[in-house]
Amino acid sequence: MDVINAAEWAKRIKMNNRMAAAKLISAIERQEQIARDVLKQLFMPVGNAHVIGVTGSAGAGKSCVVSSMISAYRKQGRTVGVIAIDPSSPFTGGAFLGDRLRMQTHGRDKGVYIRSMATRGYLGGLARGAVDAMRVMEAMGHDVVIVETVGTGQDEVDVSRLVQTCLLVVTPTMGDDIQAMKAGIMEIAQVIVLNKSDMPGKDAALLDLEVSLRMRPVAEEGWLVPVVPTVATTDDGIEELMEQIEKHQAWLRKAEGLKQYAFKKAEQESSVIIKDEIERVIFDQLRGTGLRRKYLEKIVAGEIDPYTAVEEVMTLFIKKSVKDV
Amino acid sequence: MKKKKDNKVRKIKVLVTKVGLDGHDRGAKVIASMLKEAGMEVVYLGMFMMPKDIVDAAIDEDVDVIGLSTLSGGHLVFTPQIVEEMKKGGLNDVRLVLGGVIPIEDVPTLKEMGVDAVFPAGSLTEPIVTYIRNHVRQ
Amino acid sequence: MKATAEKLPDNQATDVDWDKCLAAYYEKPKSSLTWSGLEVKEVYTPEDLPSEKYKDICDPGTYPFTRGIHRNMFRGRYWTRREVIGMGSPQDTHDRSKLLVDEGGSGLNTIADIPYEMGLDADHPWAQSEVGLTGVCITNMYDMETMTADIPLDKVSWSLITASSVSVVTMAQYAAVAKKRGYDLKKLRGTIQNDPVHFRYCGFAPACPLDLSVKLGTDVIEYCTKEMPLWYYTTVNLYDLREQGITAPQEVAFGFLIARLYIDEMIRRGYKVDEFMQRFAFYVSCHIDIFEEVSKIRAARRIWARLMKENYGAQKTSSQQFRFAVHTAGCSLVPQQPLNNLIRIAYQALSAVLGGVQSLHCTSYDEPVCLPTENGHTQALRTQQILAYETGVTNVADPLGGSYYVENLTNRLEEEIYKIMAEVDKVGGMYEAIRTEWLDRVFEKEALARQKEIDDRDKILVGVNMFTTDQETTTPLGVQRISKVSVKKQIEMVKKLKKERNKSLWKEKILDLKAAADRRENVLPFMITATEAGATTGEMMGAVRLSFGYPYDPLEIIQAPF
Repeated sequence: MDVINAAEWAKRIKMNNRMAAAKLISAIERQEQIARDVLKQLFMPVGNAHVIGVTGSAGAGKSCVVSSMISAYRKQGRTVGVIAIDPSSPFTGGAFLGDRLRMQTHGRDKGVYIRSMATRGYLGGLARGAVDAMRVMEAMGHDVVIVETVGTGQDEVDVSRLVQTCLLVVTPTMGDDIQAMKAGIMEIAQVIVLNKSDMPGKDAALLDLEVSLRMRPVAEEGWLVPVVPTVATTDDGIEELMEQIEKHQAWLRKAEGLKQYAFKKAEQESSVIIKDEIERVIFDQLRGTGLRRKYLEKIVAGEIDPYTAVEEVMTLFIKKSVKDV
Repeated sequence: MKKKKDNKVRKIKVLVTKVGLDGHDRGAKVIASMLKEAGMEVVYLGMFMMPKDIVDAAIDEDVDVIGLSTLSGGHLVFTPQIVEEMKKGGLNDVRLVLGGVIPIEDVPTLKEMGVDAVFPAGSLTEPIVTYIRNHVRQ
Repeated sequence: MKATAEKLPDNQATDVDWDKCLAAYYEKPKSSLTWSGLEVKEVYTPEDLPSEKYKDICDPGTYPFTRGIHRNMFRGRYWTRREVIGMGSPQDTHDRSKLLVDEGGSGLNTIADIPYEMGLDADHPWAQSEVGLTGVCITNMYDMETMTADIPLDKVSWSLITASSVSVVTMAQYAAVAKKRGYDLKKLRGTIQNDPVHFRYCGFAPACPLDLSVKLGTDVIEYCTKEMPLWYYTTVNLYDLREQGITAPQEVAFGFLIARLYIDEMIRRGYKVDEFMQRFAFYVSCHIDIFEEVSKIRAARRIWARLMKENYGAQKTSSQQFRFAVHTAGCSLVPQQPLNNLIRIAYQALSAVLGGVQSLHCTSYDEPVCLPTENGHTQALRTQQILAYETGVTNVADPLGGSYYVENLTNRLEEEIYKIMAEVDKVGGMYEAIRTEWLDRVFEKEALARQKEIDDRDKILVGVNMFTTDQETTTPLGVQRISKVSVKKQIEMVKKLKKERNKSLWKEKILDLKAAADRRENVLPFMITATEAGATTGEMMGAVRLSFGYPYDPLEIIQAPF
């Protein structure tokens, strides 16, 4: 792509230029300044898209569920943006982005935009920059944006704060996982998908899920979390799933849920940006000063404790940069 | 605020795929895993892709390299088609790398067509990784 | 350095690394593992083979057939020497087949190309650039007539290599042509690969849904059992499984469990094993570890005999016998220093013969470089001929029988094979292992392990990770090219036939076929009549696929024309 300014870049994205969008998402992943400048121009508190999260353990068939959902949305004439997230290896930094493989039947469809992202060390089931990538897809004009999380299981709470409707995909064979999930992760979902429900153990799992849902406190007033059995590989149950997602969207609109969602998302987003920004400001200023090394050596030598060291650095740099601004 | 230089290490992103009906995907899967172990982000597209599908995916994913595995002898037919699609799609700085059952006699022809490198079946991983590291845009 | 070399052109010997020479003199093997990773001892003694154990071994031709299925083995008959042919148009394949018969080949072996295996007609938009590249494409009866023209079908044994669920179409096309030319189907000899279940792993998953694979594979078995009793109606393909990178014992264990899917379906349809097992055959790989491959084959024979007798109650000897063809391991060949492959193939062929093979295909040395050239083909056949006529290996049945090492390794591989079968049982049996992609994950893991062994030099491959030389710039015996002209002509013919056939008759027969599939009957007889009425491969497969709830076109590009 030719070199362009932020305004032109934002314009191209709003015109649904796929390469401009792809390049911007890469710039976001690399945390480049130009990406921020473009994102500032693309900001909307609540966009026009229905933003859906799909989470659940690896092997639950999340990608297949997403693929079936895409087909269903396309039949309704709605365009779909998908962010599929896979883990980066903590040792090599490499990642195998295989979700696209299961969705590639939609690759020829101009109304579908799929982007794979690696977590690059970001915890919580999302990739660094996934929120911004969602915004890019909304700006491109997609009617629905789906985020498929990593699927490591337990710690994927972030996604629930950033999407309007969160689906949790489980399978009948994941009895133990379901037990573990009751502890917390089930509370993040607005719809639970019991995928691969052609497998033995479906009825037991269904009962188990219903019981534990009834026993937990209601997270959202007036919304009863449904459990939808599906077999995503044959599209069984997808129709019902779509109905439930629509119902939740309608409920959100009626109960001012969208406003709450916008608030929740702003809160989450800004706190991430603050953390990132402070980290960046401090590390940028430390670079080349030799201070970091000096402090580390002092800590090792027992001359200073880490808390005091950090306090000193904070006083030095935060005050300084606030003055700069 | 003064302009900050980007200090992140640039991740290399590779699309690994097969073209047409050639279904021998063992090599493609192995190389995808090995590139991952070498620290790259690998989008695995799988089988039954037509040249345009591959280029469209490469655009959406903003990859640095397209790695094609071919074992059915169709490389001279589809390579010009892919190069053509890449030109149409504006992928001027993306590297096109071929691997698989490719007669050594065809390598000059393929390079003339626009292929950047060819690795025959039975290649070790190391030279492939080194090639990619040394040749992607930085 | 360069300047010095220019000054002393005759004194290059000073550059020789003499330490390296000394190290080479004292060099000993790095690994004492078999190719599949079994640790073996320095030497084997009578303690490893107590004489009372001979009841598990027995003489050749005696249950459990460890030592071979015939008492006299190759003194009775040489193994069948086949070379796979299939390239360009049906006419090209026909011409090449006749050439190889002239050269002394004792059977014909034609392989389907990718579009054919996928169940696509030659004029399918995705097929056109691939027709005739890796085999031959038979779209209709006319193509089959061209390929088999003036070849006496009652005198040759024809091996049709269609493996996917399209095998049922191939069988129907062959039978239709044989009937038209006046042959008695009951007297025809030959084989068809017909192992759709395994073929999903060879890149044909869209053409081989699991339920359809078992159904159509068994349709061929059932039809041949009744109508073509001399025909080997399935060759369960262990070879292709091995090519995924798995080990020798995994090859046998997974292959046998896939074989059982067809057998169990025949039993469900009301047959007893002794009624149909006589023509059940296998396709086995021979890799580079000679003794392990021989032991693998011996262990496989023993396990199969016991399985058939003890689990299925087979009484007839012929239903207990493990009959197999060998294909030397394509995945063991490399493009670097390609002539080395001739040597690899020769060793692999030797292990096949020492294992008591019934039919052998030697890979062409140029397989990792291009499609086999005529020279490559001939060389592969010569490899077999030297083995058969010069080396004396045909004189004695199971020449390695009684070797302390080989008998011990046979026992150990047998144990390993049983262990792997038990693992598959634990995940719910082979059908579930395939359906849940458990087997895919095993293949991926093993393939990666093989690459790492080579990368890390745990296994040596001459020319790849040791004794490497600069890349060659030409292939020693030339490169095969496909004539695009003949293929273009074939595609035109297909289009023409589709326009000119009797539309109402064609439609009637296609709908008959679809109705039979809906009733879950054996579809093969209906495919014969549909073929006679001008129906094509893609149309017949499409009719059956629709009946089973799959899209007409496995690639979902075109729609049903009926």
